[in-house]
Amino acid sequence: MTDVPQIEEPAQPVLRVQTPDEVPAAGLKLDADVVIIGSGASGAVTAYELSQRGAKVVVLEAGPYVPSSRFTERLAGAFDQLYEDGGKQTNKSGDMVVLQGSCLGGSTVINAAVCFRAPDAVLESWGQNFGLDNLSPTAMAPYFDKVEKNLHIHPNGPHELNLNGRLISDGAKRLDIPTAPASRNIKHCALTGHCLSGCKTERKQSMLVTYLPWASELGATILSGTRAESFEVNNGRITEVHAVATDAEGVQKAVDVKAGLVVVAAGAIQTPLLFQKAGLGNSSGLVGSNFACHPSTAMLGEHPDDVYCWLGATISTYAGNIEDPKEGSYLLEAGFMGPLSMSTASDGGVGKEYVEFVEKSKKYLGAVTLIHDHNVGRVYWDNGRKRIDYNLDDRDFPSLQAAFRAAAKIYFAAGAKRVYLPTTRRTVIERADEVDSVINSLENGKHLYKLTSYHPQGTMRMGKNPKASVVGPDGKVHGLDNVYVVDASVFPTTLLVNPQETVYAMATYLSEGIGARG
Amino acid sequence: MKLYRRTFTKLSILSGTGALVLPACQGEPPAMGEAAKLTPDERVLIERFAEVYIPTAGTNLKPLAEVPYLDNIDRILERLDGATLDEVHTGLKLFDYGSIVLGFHLTRFGNLSPEDRLEYIIDWTHGGETQRAIAGVLKSFVAFGYWQDVGAAQRVGYQGPVSDEAKIVSLGNAPMPVDQAQPETPT
Repeated sequence: MTDVPQIEEPAQPVLRVQTPDEVPAAGLKLDADVVIIGSGASGAVTAYELSQRGAKVVVLEAGPYVPSSRFTERLAGAFDQLYEDGGKQTNKSGDMVVLQGSCLGGSTVINAAVCFRAPDAVLESWGQNFGLDNLSPTAMAPYFDKVEKNLHIHPNGPHELNLNGRLISDGAKRLDIPTAPASRNIKHCALTGHCLSGCKTERKQSMLVTYLPWASELGATILSGTRAESFEVNNGRITEVHAVATDAEGVQKAVDVKAGLVVVAAGAIQTPLLFQKAGLGNSSGLVGSNFACHPSTAMLGEHPDDVYCWLGATISTYAGNIEDPKEGSYLLEAGFMGPLSMSTASDGGVGKEYVEFVEKSKKYLGAVTLIHDHNVGRVYWDNGRKRIDYNLDDRDFPSLQAAFRAAAKIYFAAGAKRVYLPTTRRTVIERADEVDSVINSLENGKHLYKLTSYHPQGTMRMGKNPKASVVGPDGKVHGLDNVYVVDASVFPTTLLVNPQETVYAMATYLSEGIGARG
Repeated sequence: MKLYRRTFTKLSILSGTGALVLPACQGEPPAMGEAAKLTPDERVLIERFAEVYIPTAGTNLKPLAEVPYLDNIDRILERLDGATLDEVHTGLKLFDYGSIVLGFHLTRFGNLSPEDRLEYIIDWTHGGETQRAIAGVLKSFVAFGYWQDVGAAQRVGYQGPVSDEAKIVSLGNAPMPVDQAQPETPT
């Protein structure tokens, strides 16, 4: 018998996390070179990059540390366990759910792993309109290259394309709508379709299994369940961050971190709220303004075959012209969750009509629609209550209609018998030749569409002009000497495409400048 | 019926109907410490709503009575902030008592016949912004409470959790990037 060759596995870095239960009752006082608030896409990358440069880093994450082994693969349970406000965060009107991760690793833990580079046209427009020539496609390319390599970002292979994705791509091709397999940050995907509940078997290359353990291995101190609350400010510098760790018994413990540099990476909702609470960085009056979010819907089309659109890669293919986002641009991503999502994403009617709708769950083609929306929203405190004041702008409504129109036509081209629009009043299109007339008759308004946002952006706008932006091209907050913002809140406009890869690349780029300060 | 529909479309819940209906509400406010759960009145309201929204009898769906959807809805409420919770309680009360005036039923939603309850839900779905919002919340609550039950979802072909059952191995943390590993500390 011959010996089986042994493959030497590279050592796995260990993620060490200090949970609130491990914080002494008397509290904790820490000194660091850099304190990073938030551990999602941007915070984790920054923590690793700065640790790599020898900085002593402390990461404060408000959400809990939930090891992957505790993920349940049940969406409702995951909402409670991993999402901001238990998955119930909404806009002020209450007609759009805003989903964000609230756990160590942030939204990277609960996203669908879809990766796109920011379209060149978007980066070029940032240079033209906001003076951000430093973020040109050419300048950013090495950073995209780096994160794509580190996070195993690659287009789905043929084995990862489920029937839903293949049918939708086939339909798009028949209509000459650009389509391709989606790229994802995933390794050896087990095709369980449970991305949004967290990847239990650690195949999705979220921050929880990549940059955070890497930073930890390099000596970064990572605290979970620890919310930054206020700052000590002296001469335009934040000298200390005051945070509160809340343990399992509800006991609050003070965590105070003195640091030379402060990096805020809490996401496009929590970051401006933190600055507003502290009354800092708002010389432009724009902190919290310019909120945008790729308002999304989920479209269903009833196919004659059993499609099981929830099986396999959560998102397998996409359709739409993403090279040059402009007015009316949309993106369709083939994928869907189970009957829970179907019932909350579409109005299947009531009574027997609803029962017939759900009994056909396995027949549905499913795709998420995204649009390139304008930055019309605002995030602010209202008597201690977080508010996300955002409604679909009339200028963006044609984009939503265009997305509906494209999805409906693709579904019919793929063989669908009927299409369900994501309206709050049951709207069913029975024939392909009815698509235009039905969708053209829709009106914009509150509580008329089943909207979800997965991509909050834009509330701490980056730009060269301090009067028209909150942070400069290097991420430094105007008017503060040692404070940086590195998350998606700095995007001057939306991307149209999923933002996570751009956040990773941008944080990598900004970390170089921050690290150079020593 | 025409009058009924016209009444709906012309009344503004908060400025008109709400003012008419709320003084007639007799339900007890939630007791202190219990505000994050459905009140007994609300549980009855949602039961009557769910019976007509998802009529499982005679279908392949898991019977409503076997799904703890009310308890699941309680868990939703536990995660809402106080102000939102107050709005939910008010919205449910408006829906429950709205039928006294709207449609001239002169009785609460829970006392309506199944046919009238169905019609009432449809009318609210097609009503003004606040009516649509409240009807949407009720539908979402019931759907969320019902479909998170794995057994209920499996009846329509959804597989539910798989990794543990299939014993899919975990890959663990990703190795450090090869060309960027920490330089070894000089000894």
